[in-house]
Amino acid sequence: MELRKKITLGDVLMHVAMILASVICLYPFVLSFMVSITDEKSLLVNGFKLIPAEFSTVAYEMVFQDGSIFRGYIVTIFITLVGTVLSLLISAMAAYAMANPRVQYRNAFAMFLYIPTVFSAGLLPWYLVCTQILHLGDTVWALILPSLISPFNIFLMRNYFKSIPTSLIEAAEIDGCGVLKTAFVVVFPLSKPIIATISLFAGLGYWNNWANALYFINDKDLYPLQYMLFRVEQLIQDVQKNGALSANMQVPTQTFQMATLFVTIGPILLLYPFVQKYFVKGIMVGAVKG
Amino acid sequence: MSKRKAKTEVKVKRTFAQEMKKNWPYYLMMLPAGIFLFLFAYLPMPGLIIAFQDYNFVDKFRSPFVGLKNFEFFFSSDYAWRTTVNTLVINSAYLILTTFFAVLVAIVLNEMKGKVSKKIYQNAIFIPYFISSVVVGKLITDMLFSDQAGGVVNQIITLFGGDPVKWSTVPIAWPFIIVFAHLWQVVGYTSIVYLASIAGFDKGLYEAAALDGATRFQRIIHITVPLLMPSIIIMMLLSIGGMLRGDFANIYAIIEDNGMLFKYTDVIDTYVFRSIKGAAEFGTTAAIGLYQSVVGFILVVFSNWLAKKYDEDTALF
Repeated sequence: MELRKKITLGDVLMHVAMILASVICLYPFVLSFMVSITDEKSLLVNGFKLIPAEFSTVAYEMVFQDGSIFRGYIVTIFITLVGTVLSLLISAMAAYAMANPRVQYRNAFAMFLYIPTVFSAGLLPWYLVCTQILHLGDTVWALILPSLISPFNIFLMRNYFKSIPTSLIEAAEIDGCGVLKTAFVVVFPLSKPIIATISLFAGLGYWNNWANALYFINDKDLYPLQYMLFRVEQLIQDVQKNGALSANMQVPTQTFQMATLFVTIGPILLLYPFVQKYFVKGIMVGAVKG
Repeated sequence: MSKRKAKTEVKVKRTFAQEMKKNWPYYLMMLPAGIFLFLFAYLPMPGLIIAFQDYNFVDKFRSPFVGLKNFEFFFSSDYAWRTTVNTLVINSAYLILTTFFAVLVAIVLNEMKGKVSKKIYQNAIFIPYFISSVVVGKLITDMLFSDQAGGVVNQIITLFGGDPVKWSTVPIAWPFIIVFAHLWQVVGYTSIVYLASIAGFDKGLYEAAALDGATRFQRIIHITVPLLMPSIIIMMLLSIGGMLRGDFANIYAIIEDNGMLFKYTDVIDTYVFRSIKGAAEFGTTAAIGLYQSVVGFILVVFSNWLAKKYDEDTALF
């Protein structure tokens, strides 16, 4: 190790390549943020520039002036919280039952979970079931229930629960704990790492999901943030119609779009430094399996 | 001790009624997951029957049967060939390029000495994984590949003396843009998978090679790459199974309904979505869905078989 103190050409090349890759990954975020705080007129003259020629916060003022974005936040936070908690609860219970070797039909249930991962009916029948049979159209449940179960996550949790010593479970049962109590009081608290990982992935999935809104939601009051961004032209029209700041003021289209974009990803970017290491760990857990 | 006990207990075969009486709390715990999976994964399956029907909104699943007419219609249209080819081409490009760049990044990060710079790079390239495909789509269509002269790529083109391009009218550019967007989102993520397996390699091999005078490049080519090969091959083989599943959210977020770009970007899933939105030709749409499901199923079984043949220990779950 001590031998490799001098910097070789290889080192330099590697750093140049990684700096380039990092810039490619970060540049769009930085640029779009800079655009969002640029004055629209100077944007039309100069194009997208990293340093704003003329600074302006009008776009953000307009985004927040209209109430829709707050409603979008409420919808998104609701589906993220409820979806993650429900998904975790249901998956963890099933995984716990499947991890117990005394349960006779556990492998049959595993097969039941596995089949849909190799054979799916496809978009159209699924859509018809959701709308015509379950009547999920234009309800907040359409944004939560269809993505509740991930067989892969259940298998990951089952494997984790299997690694918990049987003696602990038996001891709890001898102490008079029922099956549910043993799961919730003894096993789940011992499984914090896997539960944290899976809830983060599930939470991110719900926060970013917009396809379900695309399929099922027409009611503007139920638009989650990401779908609001997808329909940003409509949002601009609404803001314009509701009197943007002053009556004869035009909504700055491009900066408004970028401001909306930043408002929808803001919480994720703020949380990123704190949660990314759990995601890395989670990917590694999955990697060991695959 | 507990292991042996578990084994003997399994041997006792109970009848269904006995098992339910003894272990009902466990089955109760499986029930919610079972119900939701049944509703959203199994209940749609019989719905594939409309592939053989002339679907209408009055009779719904009891619409009149028309035999294989829907399949004839779909396979004689241009759409069958076009969407299948686009799906396969885009997915193959995803698979090959993602693997290549992810392995490259993993090797480079692994070779880096500075712990801090390594962390910074890793954090930077992992960020795009956290944002939704809508955000990616907006960044691409409204900023990077915007039609205006002020768009980022157009600025670069003008810088080198070219004329700005009206991207939304250039179909051939978009499969490349879609693949680029995908790489941008997942290379950081996938490189972590490979970095994890590199971390498990025997350090002794590298030390021995260094003592024998192997250069760093030689160590990468003769130790790291061959040791990574099994995981690369397994990941690739298993991915064959998903070859016919379209990347709907990402592609639709970028292309939306710009018909001019469909020629090279319309995949099976975007085609199906359009017909759902237009509420038209459900029979044909179900036919294409059934074709996708059946061929997809064969591909999954085939890829699992291949992966198992390559490495005995590999099973999906």
